[in-house]
Amino acid sequence: MRDVASERDVDSRSTVNERVVTLDVNGRTYTLRLDTRVTLLDALRDRLGLVGTKKGCDQGACGACTVHLDGRRVLSCLTLAAQAEGREITTIEGLTGADGPHPVQRAFMEHDGFQCGFCTPGQIMSAVALMAEGRAGSDEEIREYMSGNICRCGAYPNIVAAIRAVASGGGHDAHL
Amino acid sequence: MSTVESRPLIGEGISRVDGPRKVTGAAPYPMDFSVPGQAYGTLVQSTIAAGRIVRMHTDEAAHSPGVVTVLTHENALEVGTGPASVLGASPPAPLRNDRIVHHGQHIAFVVAETPEQATAAARLVRADYEAAEPLLDLQDPRAEHLHDPWGMDHSRGDAAAALESAEVTLHSTYLTADNTNNPLGLFATLAVWDGDTLTVHDTSQWPSMVRASLAMAFGIPESSVRVLVPYVGGGFGAGLRAWPHVILTAMAARMTKRPVKLVLTRPQMFTSIGHRPSGVQWLSVGIRRDGELVALDHRSLSSLSMEDNDFEPFSSGTAFAYQCPNVITRDEQAKLNIAVPTSMRAPAEAQGNFALESALDELSYTLGIDPVELRLRNHTDVDPRNGLPWSGKAILECYEIGARRFGWSDRNPEPRSMRDGNWLVGYGMASAMFPYFAQPCMAEATVNRDGSAFVRSAATDIGTGTYTVMAQLSAEELGLPLEKVRFDLGDSDMPDSMMAGGSGLTGALGNAVHDACRRLVRSFVDLVRDDADSPLMGISPHDVECSDGRIHLMGCPDRGESYVDILARHGTPQLSATGSSTPPDAKEIGLSLAGAYGAKFVEVRVDPDLGLVRVARVVSAIDGGRILNEKTARSQIIGGTVGGIGMALLEDTVTDPRTGRIANGTFADYLVAVNADVPELDVVFVGEPDRGTPTGTKGVGEVGLVGIAPAITNAVYHATGKRIRSLPITLDTLL
Ligand code: FES
Ligand code: FES
Repeated sequence: MRDVASERDVDSRSTVNERVVTLDVNGRTYTLRLDTRVTLLDALRDRLGLVGTKKGCDQGACGACTVHLDGRRVLSCLTLAAQAEGREITTIEGLTGADGPHPVQRAFMEHDGFQCGFCTPGQIMSAVALMAEGRAGSDEEIREYMSGNICRCGAYPNIVAAIRAVASGGGHDAHL
Repeated sequence: MSTVESRPLIGEGISRVDGPRKVTGAAPYPMDFSVPGQAYGTLVQSTIAAGRIVRMHTDEAAHSPGVVTVLTHENALEVGTGPASVLGASPPAPLRNDRIVHHGQHIAFVVAETPEQATAAARLVRADYEAAEPLLDLQDPRAEHLHDPWGMDHSRGDAAAALESAEVTLHSTYLTADNTNNPLGLFATLAVWDGDTLTVHDTSQWPSMVRASLAMAFGIPESSVRVLVPYVGGGFGAGLRAWPHVILTAMAARMTKRPVKLVLTRPQMFTSIGHRPSGVQWLSVGIRRDGELVALDHRSLSSLSMEDNDFEPFSSGTAFAYQCPNVITRDEQAKLNIAVPTSMRAPAEAQGNFALESALDELSYTLGIDPVELRLRNHTDVDPRNGLPWSGKAILECYEIGARRFGWSDRNPEPRSMRDGNWLVGYGMASAMFPYFAQPCMAEATVNRDGSAFVRSAATDIGTGTYTVMAQLSAEELGLPLEKVRFDLGDSDMPDSMMAGGSGLTGALGNAVHDACRRLVRSFVDLVRDDADSPLMGISPHDVECSDGRIHLMGCPDRGESYVDILARHGTPQLSATGSSTPPDAKEIGLSLAGAYGAKFVEVRVDPDLGLVRVARVVSAIDGGRILNEKTARSQIIGGTVGGIGMALLEDTVTDPRTGRIANGTFADYLVAVNADVPELDVVFVGEPDRGTPTGTKGVGEVGLVGIAPAITNAVYHATGKRIRSLPITLDTLL
């Protein structure tokens, strides 16, 4: 399936080093003509309008840009868009299911796991992956493996509480 | 209507109303906005700290693919300077001349079709400089000093004589490093001109001020400028001013006749939007053997840039923190070739309190008096500057409840006496406060025919919970369920608000919302004054209260009617009222306006072989007056605590002493606290609604940070016997 955004993008920008890249994002396929320097983060934000993924440093040091590539967390600012071709990309926009927000999203609201909310999409993508990695066994483990995601507002204890609640919740919430 | 007294001290901890948008990525921050046809700007910054530009080389950049224009001081539009605010003169206009006053100063602005093209072209811009020797050292005798720049120096009694004759004296020097606000959201500006009207999306904590600055810069009326900022990716003070890059983006948009968008890079966030200035403080304390303070002499020198202002009276809090008859406080600022400092969470008080609370801890050991007891002995219920009672100061309760929750009585007073395996264990505490601050504020409240309410003000929610607590407050005032109330903000076209800063917004805006809602109810009552069909006919607006979407006679829910019925019967689609608040006058109300208070208790673990310090536990007992929402208020305190841990253990903006370049201007090099640095944090709210204002609230944005650094260094002393007087603590000082 091609997207409206891609039609516009394929022909509107002329630069020196370009290539056509096909990206599979949240279950949709987009074909873009991209400057080869464009990162996955910028492709998502500037070309596809998926601005839920945030840029906090563009240097791989803050975690705000965390997305999933084939279910594993990566920093989209350190990934070129072209490198993500042929892989399944999930962003914060793709996390909400048909039955509403993901359990981790709900837990972040319940435990006030954010303040300004800017780090939150990255925190949540990291948290979901963390559980899939089996790294949410204890508070210590959660703190350690969530330390690639800076929260300058300092919501850390609430982020830990939110993840702990989902990881130990059993029943519906434990189903990830 | 309901009164302050009848309300609970601690409001319901409901989840944020903006939570659903934030957890799904749907909350739009300034960097998330784009408009068709926009071009992208990139800043070029100076690579010397002092001197002048001899020549700019822009040809290569201008001919680089996709470049629209390259602006320098040679071709920039001349713009006016914005208005002064409570934080001082407006930042200097950008690209005015060839003068360089700090490393990282904006010297060119490249506009191109794509961000990649703009970034690539910016690398091709070169400057020839005539470099001068920069002044970079705070204690450089050549630096010009500003004395008492804020008129807050204080003197009472005779501190010099009292020090001379005191039974015990302490003379200490304290150093605090430059810290950088570093909100996670990169600051962004998108400027769109339509003829002579300007719309700007901008990362700001104070849209009304950005509007005024842009209007003055371009010589257009304020009504022609609209500043939008529905979400802010943090600020911590960095968004309190209309920075040069904001003006520059609007200038580029005007000159290119294109919408222009700029997103700062993380390194540019270190030089473009302020930082907490480094400082040196000299504190002399005279005290009796029984622990009663007789003299305090507190002086500070902090760093300032060459061409700008920063409100940073480090020692001012010492004038009223404790009962003491002889006090002198003196602040100076040294003009250096550094990027402009600015308010960063708990400005001045974070540093001044570190000195004072460290000194008291040191004296507690000298005198053999428990640190909490020493503070109790010097407590004052009146403001020693004017003799007026505080409008609210429950610090005694903070000490008591905080100490109990922490288990302070388990502390062995002997330094280096407590261990856990190889770890040295230390308990430390400190008092905290953040002074009262407020500015005039306005809000507008509307009730619609369907019984829903819409309340708005040009405020911002920087993560503090403004959207949520103001909706709660409005719902309470209007007697509506929260789901029926929408609070909107972040648009300079709304009624003027004060800044989201200085812990002032919740109080000032809350009081304006309170006023707007009361006026609105009054206009409903006025509407039915002569309405024979209304059960409220003839009732005075003073005798009504609101609940369940109805206005009714006080204490008599049956005698009244709903907003919906009143509006329907009168064929009115909606009623609105505007309310305002102004800071009360202390003399008039006979109370000295109090800010928030707190007592902080910290347990640290120190590895004696590595010098490693870990914060194991923190208890913060806080008097924040009436707390509107326990959940968001607690988050403010834990956020401040995390900032305090960073200040104590990690944060240090390092400037190269030769070039003036910031040497660690990235998140990889400038360390902030991460999840693994932060233990479980205990927060408890105590006290009573503040008596100084109608809603009884005090802001809690800053008090969470204050006192954490000295509580940590005091705990480190207790663990190791080593007194730290310089922040941040580095490993080598503990080996
Ligand atoms: S934006 Fe990718 S790690 Fe910071
Ligand atoms: S919520 Fe603001 S950075 Fe995490």
